[in-house]
Amino acid sequence: MATPAPVPPEPSGPSATRLLAGVGLGFAALAALFVAELWGRPASFRRIPLVATSFLETKPIRQSYADLVAAKEDLSDYDCYACHEKNKPPPIKFDANHKIVIPKEHKNIEMGHGSHDRNNLCYNCHTEQNLLTFQARDGRELKFDQSVPLCGSCHGPTYRDWEAGAHGRTSGYWDRKLGQPVRLACVNCHDPHNPKIPGREPAPGPHSLHEPAPAAAGTSHP
Amino acid sequence: MSALPANPQDRTSDRALSRRSFLRGTAAVSGLAALAASLAPLRELGDFTSIEEFFQKYYKELTPEEMKRVLARIERQVEQQYGVRPHVRDLKPMDGVEFVYCLNLTRCIGCRKCVHACVAENNQSRNPEIQYIRVLKLPHGSLDLEKAQHDYVAKEVPEKGFFYMPVQCQQCKNPPCVKVCPVHATWQESDGITVIDYDWCIGCRYCEAACPYWARRFNFAKPEIPKERLNPDMAYLGNRPRRQGVMEKCHFCIQRTRVGRYPACLEVCPVGARKFGNILDPDSEVSHILREKRVFIQLKEEMGTSPRFFYYFDK
Repeated sequence: MATPAPVPPEPSGPSATRLLAGVGLGFAALAALFVAELWGRPASFRRIPLVATSFLETKPIRQSYADLVAAKEDLSDYDCYACHEKNKPPPIKFDANHKIVIPKEHKNIEMGHGSHDRNNLCYNCHTEQNLLTFQARDGRELKFDQSVPLCGSCHGPTYRDWEAGAHGRTSGYWDRKLGQPVRLACVNCHDPHNPKIPGREPAPGPHSLHEPAPAAAGTSHP
Repeated sequence: MSALPANPQDRTSDRALSRRSFLRGTAAVSGLAALAASLAPLRELGDFTSIEEFFQKYYKELTPEEMKRVLARIERQVEQQYGVRPHVRDLKPMDGVEFVYCLNLTRCIGCRKCVHACVAENNQSRNPEIQYIRVLKLPHGSLDLEKAQHDYVAKEVPEKGFFYMPVQCQQCKNPPCVKVCPVHATWQESDGITVIDYDWCIGCRYCEAACPYWARRFNFAKPEIPKERLNPDMAYLGNRPRRQGVMEKCHFCIQRTRVGRYPACLEVCPVGARKFGNILDPDSEVSHILREKRVFIQLKEEMGTSPRFFYYFDK
């Protein structure tokens, strides 16, 4: 066995230079990392998609007869006597469950006004003797573009609120000195044959910053 | 071995790298690195605060002349950043006006359209996301906010058995957020709107902690707004783009309501659940509602904040 060489008290010669250079390089690399700040950067945020512009739409969901006239739309649907005969009111048919039978010419109409079919008679609103007008509860004959007083003749409290601005959609100006508010008619939101406002898909809720969106509602904290 | 010094005992005399110079060198390198690291956040400041902005006075101390210069500076900066020339105004409260908001809980269907109309109108950051309105979904027959969900996902709303309650800044008469602000960067104006001077805010978030309605939002990151979605109609205390590190919140769309228009969340509501107006005008919608309808909550009434935001029911 060879006698172990005496260990020098400290490294010397080119090996020491190399070691020092290595440590120096190490420090330089650390300095570079410091400047690059690789670990100091926050984890990248989730990219949140822009919300669909359909959710920003302010237009009413339906067009009233007056809107159709103003927009010069096709009004042939409102020309009742193109098909019906004058002075011969169309009969109303019911099935065995006393549900109204909608003829196929009017299949776009869904009868849902009032719960439990309590209001399923066309002539509650349409004038039997003149299909081109409406008949209010108090007997007034109203034109197609006068839907608001027609609805109001039954829905008194809602009509009162609408007149005061407490029911229904509004846009424009709250300050009457600076501009006019735009009030919508009943039929701009409600289908007169089926007035319940249909459900819709909600716009996206708040996104969390980093993790993926929660799988389902249920464990949220406000 | 050829580089070995002539005298092995003398290890320092003519060596290329002495211990002392090595230590000096590494100290210098790491010192420089530490300095660079400490300055690194400056690189995030893509747009340095301008000298004008830095020395800008408090909102309430600005003379009309100075305000004009400030608005011009903001317009210039927004155009530089987004490529869109905005119209920035300093709108003062109107005389004889106190704003009140009423929300019909019978009508609200929880569609969250108001949330996004607000984001679009008020130039909130899209990434990360900031929203002023939080729509709570609550089971029927309870107002226990512990049972509320704000991140509900649904195919169709309204869901059976639930009602929806949108919550935003309640514009309190006795606002806790204003009391805690150490620099008076937020205050209540005479028309009842609590506003923020974004250039005076130091971002301490005390107001966020003080607000019982979770109404205040903080810009943790640099706000990001796509240029095609930027609303160029701006107000100083309203929807002008904010910096990173400042608070923001609902201000009843100052840029609209102080020129007589309705707020954006009201106009977009598909069911007309939102009502807004001047409570000092007896003929306004909100006066009618507070007189005639079943107005039942000021949210967290027991906090004594006296909100100007009322929830009511039909019938």
